[in-house]
Formats: sequence, C-alpha cells, structure tokens
Amino acid sequence: MSSGFRAMHPAVGLLYYAGLLLFAALITHPLFLITELAGLILLLLLQGQGRQLLRGLPFYLLMAGSVAVLNPLFSHRGAHILFYLWDQPITLEAVLYGLIMMLVLLTIFLLFISYNYTVTTDKFMYAFAAAAPKTALLTLMAIRFVPLFQRRLREITLIQRFRGIDVGEGSLRKRMRDGMTLLKVLLTWSLEEALQTGDSMKARGYGIRRRSTYSIYKMDWLDKAVLLLLGLSGLIPLILWLQGYGAFEIYPRMKPLVFGSGEAVMYISFCLFVLIPPGLEGKEIWLWRSSRRKAYPSVTPEPNGTRSMSSPLR
Amino acid sequence: MARLRFPLIVAVALFLTGLALTAALKDRHYMLLSLLLLGAALLPVFLRLERRKLESRELVLLAVLSAIAAVSRIPFAALPSVKPVSALVILSAYVFGAEAGFIIGAVAALVSNIYFGQGPWTPWQMFAWGMAGLSAGWLRNSWWMKKRGGMLLFGFLWGFLFGWIMNIWYIISLPEAFSWGLVMTAYASSFYFDLAHALSNVFFLAILAGGWTGVLQRFRRKYGLLQD
Repeated sequence: MSSGFRAMHPAVGLLYYAGLLLFAALITHPLFLITELAGLILLLLLQGQGRQLLRGLPFYLLMAGSVAVLNPLFSHRGAHILFYLWDQPITLEAVLYGLIMMLVLLTIFLLFISYNYTVTTDKFMYAFAAAAPKTALLTLMAIRFVPLFQRRLREITLIQRFRGIDVGEGSLRKRMRDGMTLLKVLLTWSLEEALQTGDSMKARGYGIRRRSTYSIYKMDWLDKAVLLLLGLSGLIPLILWLQGYGAFEIYPRMKPLVFGSGEAVMYISFCLFVLIPPGLEGKEIWLWRSSRRKAYPSVTPEPNGTRSMSSPLR
Repeated sequence: MARLRFPLIVAVALFLTGLALTAALKDRHYMLLSLLLLGAALLPVFLRLERRKLESRELVLLAVLSAIAAVSRIPFAALPSVKPVSALVILSAYVFGAEAGFIIGAVAALVSNIYFGQGPWTPWQMFAWGMAGLSAGWLRNSWWMKKRGGMLLFGFLWGFLFGWIMNIWYIISLPEAFSWGLVMTAYASSFYFDLAHALSNVFFLAILAGGWTGVLQRFRRKYGLLQD
C-alpha cells in the first residue's frame, strides 16, 4: 500500500534524501550521524522495511566495518598512540576517524534502502523528464522493455526446445551455441518490433515539437507545507555548518567535542529535518489504528486524514 | 515551474559544488566532491544526446540495446561478478560507436539497478560501463579490435578496470589513510571478483562476438541507424 510519506509528491522525497545524503557527506559530528542513522532506522521500520534492512545488513556491516579496520592500519597520524601492531603505531585518532567513516557509510547504505522504497524510478524520472526529455524517454522505454524481454525469452526458450535447442542439455559447446541462438532470436525479434514502434512514433509526430510531459503528481497544500518545512529546517544546519559550527576535528590532533548554543540550534533544526517523514508515517499508522478501533459503517464518510495515492482528496 | 526548472538546476548545482569544495578543502572530506565529479563526467554525453537531432528509430534502438544488457544481468544475479552487461555494451559500441556505447552502458546500469537496488554505487557503475562502451567505440577501427583475440583481450582488461573503478568510491572515504598500501589492499581484496568478471567477459564475448555483431550490423545498414 502506498500512503504517508511515500504517497507525497516526488519533490518532497527527493529533497529529503538529497538532504540526508548531503548531511552524511558534510557533517561528521558523531551526534548528528547517530541521530541521522536512528531517524533512518525508525523511518525504515515505520515503512515496513525491517526485513529488507536485515537482509542487507551483513553486506553493509562488512563494507562499513572494513573501513573502520583499514583506516587505523594505514593511517598513523595522531597524538594518542594506543598500541603498536607490527611496529606500526595505532592511534586513537585513526580509530575514531575509521568509526566515523563507518557511520557515514552505514547511513548512506540505509538511506538508499528507504530511497528505493519511497522514490521509485518513475518518480525519479518524473523529476527529470522536463529537464532531459530524451534521456528520460530512453530510460523509461528501457525500463518497460525489461519485463517484456524476460517474457519473450521464456517464450523463445519454450518454442526452441521443440527444435532441440536447449541450454539445459548436451555438451558445453552445444549449450553455448544454443544460448547464443536464443539470444539472437530475442535480439532480432525485439529490434524488428522496436523499430516499428519508432516508425509509428514518427508517424504520430514525435520530434516535431518539444515533448510535452504528463504528470500524475499534483502538489497539494500538505506537500507544499512539508517541502517548505524541510527546506527551512535543512538550510539552517547547512548555513551554520558553513559558519564552522558542528565541526569535529580529529586530525592532526583530536579536539574536544564542542556543543554550544550554535550547535544546539543546528541540532534541533537537524532533528526536525530528519524526523518529519517518520512523523508523517507514524501519523498514518496511528490514524489507521484508531479508525479500525472505531469501525466506521460504510455510509459514514471517514474523516479526511489518511493519505494514499488513490484517495480522491488529492 | 517548468520554465524555472533549468535555472533552478543550475543554481542547485553551483551551490552543491561550493559545498563540496568547502568540504574537500576544509575537512579533506572528498565523498561529495567525487559524486559531483562523476556527475560532471556523465553530463557531456547526455547533454549531446539531448541537443542532437535523434530519429525516433535511433532512440528506440538505444533503449532496446540497454534493456537487453540490463535483462542479461538478471539470470546471473546469484553469481557476484558474472555480468554479461560489459560484453553486450562492448559489442553494441563496436557496431554503433563511442557515444551510443556510453549511453547504452550508463542506461543499462541505471535500469538493471532497479532490480538490484540503487545505491551509492549506481553512478559509479553508470560511469564504468559507460566508459567501457566509449573506449570500445573509440577503438573499434583499430586493427586489433577487429580481430577476435583483440576483442577478447579488451573484454578481459575491462573486467579488471571495472572493478578498479568501483573500488575508488570505497577508497575515497579514507583520505587520511590514502597510501599505496591501502590501494594495494583494496585491489588485492577485489582481485578474485575482478578476475571472475574478466573471465566471464571473455566467455560472453567469445560466444556472442560473431553472430551478435552480425545481427547489429545488418540492422544498422538496413535501417540506416546512427551512421556518421
């Protein structure tokens, strides 16, 4: 089901994930990173992506963990030497830097799980269709061809099996040749038909004028409000970061973490940015639960509140 | 909104460049800068695609070839480095030229990652496969590329190059530890994956080389596609 944050205008999702990626790549303060990571995990759980998260976790931990291990092994700068490993000093600074980079990578990995769920490719394409119409059309056609070609390949395999062309039987040489035959049939068939599509596009006037774009997304007041709120709460930490707040200097010598009033403003605004989508998702879940408890008869109009892709109030 | 979009994109791009440069110079934090540079590397070819007058037939042809490359990755999903995409991109570029090769490689990466999951690796894969196509297109008229052995060697090399490009985004997150030791470690740990990719490239090129290019060349001549 698509509701809550996922049902919002693509611009909202794009702004949110671009902002998170930007913050992960810019602000290395551990408090901010841990907050972002926690917010993302919350969002993933609310979106029902817990299973997806668990499935990818071993790979993500391996990738991010190896960064944490490799950094102290190859970087020996820093004033606090913890111990010596094969005559190489392992410094506290290098260990901390490695851990922070591990957090950054983990954040980016988790961010993309949520991104894949929220901003599906059609929404991403919608955002760029007006700026790059040919590229968008090309990509959308390719996306549409993928399931079609899979179906065709299955059909070809079934039919060619009666001629004895089967990749599952015979010597390796024959199987390779058979696989090649199947692919060639797919290529010829698809190209021949696709070029007809191209001619038919031309006959209907493709390329005469600028391509118009149709969009099924409309911005309503909630989209605009959330967009504005995200933009404002995201700009404040960015501007403060440019002023030098929230910096965490490790190399060449670790400086103590400062958390003054500037950082406090920055952190509150940052939390607001991170927590808006989980809040929207949470509200949907809460509304759903309370509406189930009340059990509306079908004639009573339900209170306007639950958002979904197909709801008429959009 | 539509009229505002282009200036908006330019403004956002400039703002991001500023931020990335600040992060790189101030904190030696190169992640954002590397992403921007990748975007800048992908931009010119796609800009040319937007600007040039393209027949609808040619557009559809590019879409079909990208889609076939993307589809070919799906049956081998269980084997980590066996990706027929590289071989198909190289062969398409061999027939249709460098620019078409770049676009087919980049779009195939983008489309196949809808099934494999988009991630920070997507732009790197787009770049790596795009470059595989671009270089194959540039070298298609050299005498050794026309020989079967030369093309197989080219595919073998790209198996390794692909892995090396993909290692960069990992190394770039550790600017302080950057040394030949780190680079060697990263490349040694990916050696077997790269080797598997290189060998699978040779395998797929060996199967497909003759027949596949034959079909593509026939289509090219029959419909007069992408001739320059």
